[in-house]
Amino acid sequence: MKITNNLCLITQDGQTKTVNVSSEGLRLVVPDGKELNLSALVFDGTFSVRVVLAGAEAKCRLSCVYLSGRKSENKIRFDVQHQAGNTYSEQIVRGILTDRAKASFEGTIRIPKDSQKCDASQNHRAVVLSDAASVTAIPELEIYADDVKCAHGSAIGSLDKTQLFYLMSRGVPADVAKKMLLRAFVRDVLDDSFEKYVDEWMGEHA
Amino acid sequence: MTKETLLEIKDLHACVGEKEILKGLSLTIPMGEVHAIMGPNGSGKSTLSNVIAGHPAYEVTGGQILFKGQDLLAMTPDERANSGVFLAFQYPTELPGVGTALFLKTALNAKRRFQGFPDLDAVGFMKRLKPRAQALGITDDMLKRPVNVGFSGGEKKKLETFQMAFLEPDFCILDEMDSGLDIDALRTVSEAVNVMREAHRSFLLITHYQRLLDYIVPDYIHIMVNGRIVDSGDKTLALKLEEKGYEDYK
Ligand SMILES: Nc1ncnc2c1ncn2[C@@H]1O[C@H](COP(=O)(O)OP(=O)(O)OP(=O)(O)O)[C@@H](O)[C@H]1O
Ligand SMILES: [Mg+2]
Repeated sequence: MKITNNLCLITQDGQTKTVNVSSEGLRLVVPDGKELNLSALVFDGTFSVRVVLAGAEAKCRLSCVYLSGRKSENKIRFDVQHQAGNTYSEQIVRGILTDRAKASFEGTIRIPKDSQKCDASQNHRAVVLSDAASVTAIPELEIYADDVKCAHGSAIGSLDKTQLFYLMSRGVPADVAKKMLLRAFVRDVLDDSFEKYVDEWMGEHA
Repeated sequence: MTKETLLEIKDLHACVGEKEILKGLSLTIPMGEVHAIMGPNGSGKSTLSNVIAGHPAYEVTGGQILFKGQDLLAMTPDERANSGVFLAFQYPTELPGVGTALFLKTALNAKRRFQGFPDLDAVGFMKRLKPRAQALGITDDMLKRPVNVGFSGGEKKKLETFQMAFLEPDFCILDEMDSGLDIDALRTVSEAVNVMREAHRSFLLITHYQRLLDYIVPDYIHIMVNGRIVDSGDKTLALKLEEKGYEDYK
């Protein structure tokens, strides 16, 4: 399959499918005791997911990698509503930007007053490979319950120069080393089924 | 008969930011020899190693390095490595997400391509890897993990030495290889170095301790203070240092 813009690949509980990103976005409800695992690879456009954790012990893990090249504009929106107490959520987002790409990540965590003992986390990291590319992270934490755990963080930077040097000091040319590190950067978020699409994108953009 | 020169450093000056660290360092290493550098903390030993390997944080502001007669400073770090330079780092870098086996394969094939050879296949790779891994106590589990991630201090040092044995460079710099190694590991690692001593290969050992030099006996010892080599001699120089410290050189 050839990657086109506007396309995003997602796996949901082991099933891989493609969806068009310009559509409305996804809204998913996780009932008590159930778990949602969603991974997405996004190349351009807006990707928006709203999850409602509707009953105790409901869990969700949302993973997303966005690869923004040329003049693409990526908007990643995750919105997790902890409707019930004892619910757990994880948002993990990794981005790579080249050229004149722009991206933003808006991650929302909502924990109403009565949803005690929830555990929510959000982590965003982006590697920016060009001076003309830019990325912003906008975390929104609406947390009204007091007995909850909530962690969030965002880091935006360039490739680690020490790591690049270490690879080169072993004979690996700069362009190969760069790709190895970029692949490693997204690997902890996406499983192997995405690898060929990541490689294809990197062949063209990185 | 005089030996052929492998590495020649002439009046080398290097800075980090505004600060000059190497201040006119000269050193010649002939083929087949083991040289040791000893010197106080902060005298610039690791800086010298990094400058030879091509670390981008250090700016060379004067002088020259010739490696096999070629201008080393004009080469990129990967070209230097593929021409035969290897640095076993004092503080090896962790590469999360980069598997050790893939890393080794990529490095080896990069060198082969550079030399005009085809990539090594899986069988050839394992053949080269297995005996060297075994000799240095590198387990299958370590090879499956990301490079240096979660390795103990000693394990990292062993993996550095293993990479050296695996890549078979012509010039090996070992920056405080002995720090963090237990007594058995020190013996194992020294043995791995000693079996690599050959007429076409030279070593630069950086160490603070005489003990390492009992295991790997150097041809020459140099004393480095404040960015320069201030004294050179045979292995007895280390014994003198052990007794008196660097007082006389300051
Ligand atoms: N990347 C760097 N950034 C800033 N300062 C540096 C950097 N590298 C080295 N220096 C400084 O240069 C000086 C020499 O450092 P270097 O690491 O070369 O010493 P060394 O002789 O290897 O010491 P040690 O025996 O403690 O390993 C020190 O003052 C150190 O702080
Ligand atoms: Mg040092």
